[in-house]
Amino acid sequence: MESFPFYLDSTGQRQFAGGQDDWRSAAQVADQCLEFLQDVDEELVADEPRSCYNCRLRRWTARSFTCMGDGFF
Amino acid sequence: MQIAISIDDTDNLESRGTGALASLLAEEIELRRWGRSHYVTRHQLLVHPDIPYTSHNSAMCFTADIVPEYLQSIIDYAAGFLDRESATGSDPGLCVVPIDRLERCADLIHFGHRAKEVVLSKEDAYALASRSGIHLSEHGGTGQGVIGALAGAGLRLSGNDGRLKGCLPVAARNGCVSVAELRAHDDVDEVRSIDGIELSGDEQVRLGDKVKTVLLEGKAVLLIEPLAGAADGVAWQTCSKQRLKRF
Repeated sequence: MESFPFYLDSTGQRQFAGGQDDWRSAAQVADQCLEFLQDVDEELVADEPRSCYNCRLRRWTARSFTCMGDGFF
Repeated sequence: MQIAISIDDTDNLESRGTGALASLLAEEIELRRWGRSHYVTRHQLLVHPDIPYTSHNSAMCFTADIVPEYLQSIIDYAAGFLDRESATGSDPGLCVVPIDRLERCADLIHFGHRAKEVVLSKEDAYALASRSGIHLSEHGGTGQGVIGALAGAGLRLSGNDGRLKGCLPVAARNGCVSVAELRAHDDVDEVRSIDGIELSGDEQVRLGDKVKTVLLEGKAVLLIEPLAGAADGVAWQTCSKQRLKRF
């Protein structure tokens, strides 16, 4: 993902632009994030341990997730 | 008698997960000699702006074979446990299904499937529980967790939804085991190719860092997939977390 990985949705929340299957970007973003917090084991979905998809501060939405942290911004 | 215990919405961003509480409940039933608990399964429910959830909206469920006279003791214990252990700000719900006495199992399963597709209400959940003889109770906050708790029980009873909590401990030589050895594991009912290819017992499987099973046709199924660039007679590998995400 070349552009900024998040955008503000209509409710002002930070949506991940990569959707739910951009495993590479999710890992890259988490790698740079200061607030990454690994979720409990049963909620881990990415093979890379450090991935936004495995972060407790991601809140899944129908197509992607919103980030509830400030570590990447 | 057999029961299903399902809980939902017990956590917050800092607390233990709902799965940890389900495991503790399952252990306590055995410690108190009320019955024998089985594995815990995780069931994904709808994520929608109108549904309050912490970060994923999943319910956790397990079944147990219990001594019938302890049913009320188990319900009382589980209710008190959720009152004590649920996290601040959560909206916990508890569902206990006496499976042997359940008259309208299809309705419960249908509720579970609907909870993956549409927004349901507490009234929907209580109406079904009441006419089906299912215990359903709230343990703090808005009590919205009763919807997910009931849905989780329905999805568990469907036999075709969710991943089993935890990972399998498998002893392996150089990271590989045979299909026959995996089939013999206490916590594996069946080993299947994700593409439906028939497997012989002597096929070799490379294990990923975490080996997980899913619930299919009422069984704990270990799914494997072809190993690209197979060498040394190892043609298969366990499915990655990413592949199992849809379960």
